[in-house]
Amino acid sequence: MNLTNAPHGRPLRIVDLAGGESVRRRLMALGFHKGDIVELDGQAILRGPLLVRSCRSDTTVALGRGVAQKVRVEAVHEPS
Amino acid sequence: MSRPEVPTVIFIGQPNSGKSTLFNSIAGPKAETSNFPGTSIKHTHSRVSIEGRLVDVVDLPGTYSLCTTDPAEQIVLTHLFSEKPDLVVNVVDASTLSRGLELTLELIELGYPMIIALNMIDVAERRGIELDPGKAERLLGVPVVPTIAAHGRGVRELLDRAFDVLDKGQSLKPVRFSDDVETEVVEVERLLPAGFPVVSNPRFTAVKLIETAGHACGDFLGDVEPRLKETVDRARRAIEEDRGAPAYEVISAERHHQAMKLSEESSRILHGKRMTWDKKVDAVLMHPVFGYVILAAVFLAFFVIIFKVGNPLESLLLGPFNKLRDALGTRLGDGLLFHLAEGLIQGVGGGVAIVLPYFLPLLFLMSALEDFGYLARAGFLLDAFMHRIGLHGKSVSPFILGFGCNVPAIVSTRILESRRDRILTSLLIPFIPCSARTTIVLALVAFYLGPLWAMGFYAANILIIAVIGWVLSRFIKEPSPGLILEIPSLKAPRLSSIVRKTWLQIYSFVKFAWPLLIGGSLVLSLLTYFRADGWINDLLAPLVVKGLGLPHELGVTLVFGFLRKELSLIMMLQALGVDYNSLMTVVSREQIVVFTVFISFFIPCLSTCAILWKEIGRKWAFVSVGLSIGVALVLSWAVRLIL
Repeated sequence: MNLTNAPHGRPLRIVDLAGGESVRRRLMALGFHKGDIVELDGQAILRGPLLVRSCRSDTTVALGRGVAQKVRVEAVHEPS
Repeated sequence: MSRPEVPTVIFIGQPNSGKSTLFNSIAGPKAETSNFPGTSIKHTHSRVSIEGRLVDVVDLPGTYSLCTTDPAEQIVLTHLFSEKPDLVVNVVDASTLSRGLELTLELIELGYPMIIALNMIDVAERRGIELDPGKAERLLGVPVVPTIAAHGRGVRELLDRAFDVLDKGQSLKPVRFSDDVETEVVEVERLLPAGFPVVSNPRFTAVKLIETAGHACGDFLGDVEPRLKETVDRARRAIEEDRGAPAYEVISAERHHQAMKLSEESSRILHGKRMTWDKKVDAVLMHPVFGYVILAAVFLAFFVIIFKVGNPLESLLLGPFNKLRDALGTRLGDGLLFHLAEGLIQGVGGGVAIVLPYFLPLLFLMSALEDFGYLARAGFLLDAFMHRIGLHGKSVSPFILGFGCNVPAIVSTRILESRRDRILTSLLIPFIPCSARTTIVLALVAFYLGPLWAMGFYAANILIIAVIGWVLSRFIKEPSPGLILEIPSLKAPRLSSIVRKTWLQIYSFVKFAWPLLIGGSLVLSLLTYFRADGWINDLLAPLVVKGLGLPHELGVTLVFGFLRKELSLIMMLQALGVDYNSLMTVVSREQIVVFTVFISFFIPCLSTCAILWKEIGRKWAFVSVGLSIGVALVLSWAVRLIL
């Protein structure tokens, strides 16, 4: 799954950053790498952007749908 | 060790790290200018005396990394690489330590003497992170000073350590990459040909060659140093085959993991997730319902405040200028000298009367919202709407600025990463009713036809912008890369920083636009003196009388509309020879609406044209002019048909 169809408020691991080089570079510069744990924190109306929080550095970015689609993630099972 | 006469100290840090606040508290009021985070990509040198020592301080705009495709950030790099600073002050946001350290690691590779200001430790503590600056210092081999720039805490120690490094020098040890990557870096470093333009040191140059090959640098590298290009390409392929990912990604990931490790070792999480005040406020600000309610309220309050402050101020300010003009009229008669003086007074007066009353409160509020962190949130909320017109959330703040004045709004499109977005945004901004045009709308439409008409006019205007944007984005097809926008943590805005930002924007506006305003005024005065208005009226008659159905005398006001939009009302009254209250005796309501529509849209004012030319090039400036004329004609005819 990618960020547009992932559940909100759950830890997710980034499996792959697809898309063009400039988008990938930008995401990495903002601290989003393969293997990182992120969480979806909200979204704007009318299929607006998603709020993605990096659990490690506690930074939040707004990603447009087109960009969010390129971030493939998997659910992380929290140790209970 | 010999040290230079006046050392250069560069401040560098990621956006929102509090770099400018720290810079201000050090350079303070002594510094003349600085960057406007988020709205400009300017940098400035200021020579200041700190504790009796002269230092050249340079505040660079925020950058996330030293390897960037972002045009605004590339300026930072060019500057950093060419400047050869004597000291780099790396400002790191302690509350997002691990990400900030990625830039720090790159700076250590760069190898200029540096110190780290671990800023906003209070925010970090609020988030439950306890930091150990001493540990970080040992791990990085760079002095680390905890600071709270907003309260001036730690600044003194930072300066002491800074001077210490300046005096004694420093040797940095870059962190090694994993063996496989390290081998390739060493190999490229070894094979750098003699005389190759090395940036700072061979190792840094080698790393950057591997990271950026394939970009601009790699392109010309093939022509200049084919052997080296082969080496670099081979190194990149080796890394890529090893790791199954592009070399730039591998190196970036290496730093990412080193930074995470460093931040883990030098900080301690005291408590888990806790709802701090900013998170609670954020939950409301970005709520799918309340968020938009608040956004609408903020915009409404914005305009109410601006016009409540602006209107009375404007009449207050224009009064003395008009008196001066009248006094000169009786003294100088109707000669050339009087007309020149009148032009000068009207130019200066108009400049003061637009800049101060409307623009000042707007910029002040904008800076406050920006410092608070609200503009990024507005961008997030409005992104979906902007997508309809082929743009995204980052264009929101230039648009808002456009309501004050189009000129700085067009300058601020520099924050957009892609040229396509910049051009599209810059083409749309001239359609935004700036304060000068709003004055006309208020004076003509609201006064003669009622406030509801004026509001309708405004709403229609915004709709028109949306339609034009939608149409334009069909032509400028190139896809927009989409929104990637950091949402900084909310901060209580500080008055000193807001005042400073406002002042800097006003200053650069005055410097650019006033000469044009005053020059325009002088030209107009000369036109009247030489009685060229009748001739202009005749020339424009086919358009004014036949096309728009307006009185013959109004032709000359269109020229004014180009040179000085806000003057077209006064000129209209002058041209028709009536006073404000009896305008309706010579023109009809319909003619007022047609005139207002046409004058609002028909051409960006001279200053806007000039800034368009400067920022996005001659071709697009002409496109903008053509577009405006076309839109104005279509709309005025449509209004004639409807009314």
